[in-house]
Amino acid sequence: MMIKFGQATALALLMATTAALAQDKPVAGQVGDGSLKDKTLTFVSYGGIYQDGQIAALKEFVDKSGVQLLSDGPTEISKLQAQVESGNVTWDVVDTGDFPPFVYCGKLFQKLDFSKIDTSNIPKGQISECSVPAMNYGVVLMYNTDKYKDNPPKSWKDFFDIEKFPGSRALEGSGDLSGGMIEQALLAAGGSVENMTVADIDKAIEKVRSLGPDTIFWKTGADSQQLAESGEADMIAMWTGRAMTAVKNGAKYTPAWQDWLVVMDQMTIPMGVKDPDAAHALINAYVGKTSQEVLAKTTSYTPIHKDAKPEVDEVTASFMTNTPDKLKLGYQQNIKFWVENFEVANEKWNALMSGN
Amino acid sequence: MAATATPEISRSRAPADAAGERRRWFRGQPFWLVAPALLLLLVALGLPLAIVTLRSFSEPGWGLQNYVWFFGSPVNLTVLQRTFTISAWVTLVCVVAGYPYAYAMTIVGPRVRLILILCVLVPFWVSGVVRTLAWVILLQDSGVINSMIRGVGLSPIKLIRTQTGVVIGMAQVLLPFMILPLYAVMKTIDLRLMQAARSLGASPARAFVQVYVPLSLPGLYAGAIIVFILALGFYITPALLGGPRSTMLSTLIQNQVLSLLNWGKGGAMGVVLLVATFVLLALAAPLTRQPHKTGSRR
Repeated sequence: MMIKFGQATALALLMATTAALAQDKPVAGQVGDGSLKDKTLTFVSYGGIYQDGQIAALKEFVDKSGVQLLSDGPTEISKLQAQVESGNVTWDVVDTGDFPPFVYCGKLFQKLDFSKIDTSNIPKGQISECSVPAMNYGVVLMYNTDKYKDNPPKSWKDFFDIEKFPGSRALEGSGDLSGGMIEQALLAAGGSVENMTVADIDKAIEKVRSLGPDTIFWKTGADSQQLAESGEADMIAMWTGRAMTAVKNGAKYTPAWQDWLVVMDQMTIPMGVKDPDAAHALINAYVGKTSQEVLAKTTSYTPIHKDAKPEVDEVTASFMTNTPDKLKLGYQQNIKFWVENFEVANEKWNALMSGN
Repeated sequence: MAATATPEISRSRAPADAAGERRRWFRGQPFWLVAPALLLLLVALGLPLAIVTLRSFSEPGWGLQNYVWFFGSPVNLTVLQRTFTISAWVTLVCVVAGYPYAYAMTIVGPRVRLILILCVLVPFWVSGVVRTLAWVILLQDSGVINSMIRGVGLSPIKLIRTQTGVVIGMAQVLLPFMILPLYAVMKTIDLRLMQAARSLGASPARAFVQVYVPLSLPGLYAGAIIVFILALGFYITPALLGGPRSTMLSTLIQNQVLSLLNWGKGGAMGVVLLVATFVLLALAAPLTRQPHKTGSRR
């Protein structure tokens, strides 16, 4: 007991010292008591359970710092653009999809000051000049267990092979193209993702088109879940969160984790926010261990703090993407290529999405 | 103009009670009655529309580049044409389904009429997204309709992710906009005119076609125009019930503006859709204006 007490004192002392040094070196998840009193921050995300979970993850930050946290959304880059252009930015921290912080870095999003955010626990390769990850998830190949029985598909190559694996396919068509999916289509078409060119996009899209006219492009996560639960498509490229919910609801689908596509939301700070320091403090608190555990528990998304151990049930745990075995199988898209060719790639993808 | 203005002035000078004075003041100043609505339209519709139009010519540089891009891209032209085709089908389905329904509403008793009105209005109060998702459940391959078809031993039909599915879903969402104006006109038609036609020797069918239908046309045109124009801008229903082959222009506009931040291109698409709609309505206008020789009381 005495020893424990001593340890606690030492820890408290250590924490106090850290807090004193916070000016120089931030610790993820920590914020000074009352440091943001009388200040207001507006956090913007995609709504629903996800944003509720993010707000829950920030509760400790709010309680400690004394900040007033407002919540807005959904994130729309065009709205943000209007704010930045008119010089009246009311969104302080914005959760975005994969690409925007790369495409609009320095234009709509400010370069982050990493002396104010402790990024030491975030998985490697996920931080960019203008963003840190908000959470991780994946696009995973889910196949109908009844349909494929003892000869299940093992990878995206099988997904794109309708001769060896007959049956209907469903993939994401909810808006922006998925770079990872196009790269997998290119690989399946016999192409190479090294030194990709614009012509390779055509080749890959041709491969997607070869899946046939009955291919389903789902528009929302709920849509994809519905496809699985009603058995509407034999193989579905699904977000891990939706795949998990479908399985929990009794869908007879199994994931093939080979080359699951790594996807993440990004935390960003727009250009021209009134109090960049406070915005940085929010992000620094958000990437903390406890915050990430709360986030994972409430949303079932994968935390981005490497030591976070959220208490989740077995099925949820099986769809978390940060375990060593899953990390080994994950496929990271060539973000640089897709950002450089964002517009032309989108145009080609949209042509496919509009039946051309 | 000057000739009619003179008696107006002299009349307003005549002594009258205050209420009458006020009424006359309003009559002389109709502008002030519409001013609030006009102001709202100007600020909430006119101004943004002007900005969008301006941006379609000014971004990224001044010129017609966005329009050149629009008409140079086969994808855009296909989707534009498809948008009009789907809207026309939806309008047709609404006419065919709405006309007898509105007619029935005028000939039944008050209690049945109330039920019929509720049947139109209740779905009208439910959000379009909810209704669309209900259609997904009905139309999908393993859905209610196909289960029934399979149940009686027939081969299932493809309904979801086809244009047929989109037209069905959109028509259901838009049906109230057809039925309500139709009913508003039909309930003012004096049914004794049909009896008069019968007494003059017309068969029931002929009395209906030559007397009733022409009198109901203003409602039909109003309903058809509302349905058609609303259908052109549909977004959620085609997205959820359709596949790539039923994507409509609004989806492409959304993509240009929201994910690519191409306000210029998105604006040009909007302007093209708007102008095309006006041209089509202008072409249809003579039809609606044609005075009918038979049956018209006015």
